[in-house]
Amino acid sequence: MAEKRTMTLNLTDAEMDALEELAVKKDLNKTVLIRQALRLYQMVDQRLREGKKVFIEDEMTKAKSELMLL
Amino acid sequence: MNKSPTFLRNRKTGKPVEAEICDEITDQHVRLWHSSWMPIVAKAETELQRRGIPRDRWPQDLHWKWDDKTAWSRKVWALKRYSLLCEGELQGLMLINLAKYSRLATQVGWHIAYVEFVATAPWNRPDLCDQPTFRGVGQTLMRTAVEVSRAESFRGRIGLHSLPQANEFYQKVCGMTDLGPDRSYDDLVYYEMTEAQADSFCAPPQA
Repeated sequence: MAEKRTMTLNLTDAEMDALEELAVKKDLNKTVLIRQALRLYQMVDQRLREGKKVFIEDEMTKAKSELMLL
Repeated sequence: MNKSPTFLRNRKTGKPVEAEICDEITDQHVRLWHSSWMPIVAKAETELQRRGIPRDRWPQDLHWKWDDKTAWSRKVWALKRYSLLCEGELQGLMLINLAKYSRLATQVGWHIAYVEFVATAPWNRPDLCDQPTFRGVGQTLMRTAVEVSRAESFRGRIGLHSLPQANEFYQKVCGMTDLGPDRSYDDLVYYEMTEAQADSFCAPPQA
């Protein structure tokens, strides 16, 4: 694996709670969860930069909503 | 680029041969794919055509363009590339997606290392040549996928959609769970490996 560097992350209580909750839910530690979030963000951003659109589909109704990144 | 030692088994002699896994598909690997795999693939396609075998029954991975897949995947951090080399030749290639979730009820929503594409060199494939050279390329690459999953803290969980000719390999050799045909993915059967299945698949053979 590539060499890793360490950083300090400042989060509000609410953000830290959300991070901890997601980490438990996803069976990951917080560092890995943030790495995964960054990967997903970069993947979506890359698709959008290629001129593609990213949709979220409701499995039942098949209704689609476009995912927007600010 | 990191390299790790492994071995393949020479089918003729039955002896192990040193090999290495690289955690990248370099431009040199792409050139090897093009110069050594493609002429054999083209020959195999001509033979399939001559025998009148309909195109939908040809091995579906014959048309995979690893140059395009490599170039595209380099732009996305979640996509990781692996190549397997032995005796100076490219023996296998694999593309893994680390941004996918499990569908299996016992681990639903947890991250998996999803094998987007995995292929072995045509001279190792019994369906393409009479006397394949090496055995173990598929298993070695699947073990690599498990190792990648473990290194990412996914506990060895992996998933993939299998081409029809490989269903038996994933179920019987790799011990993965069959989640049935996926209607959103050309009806290819979707397989997943749990942490326990990964431990079992990667356990050293008992004496």
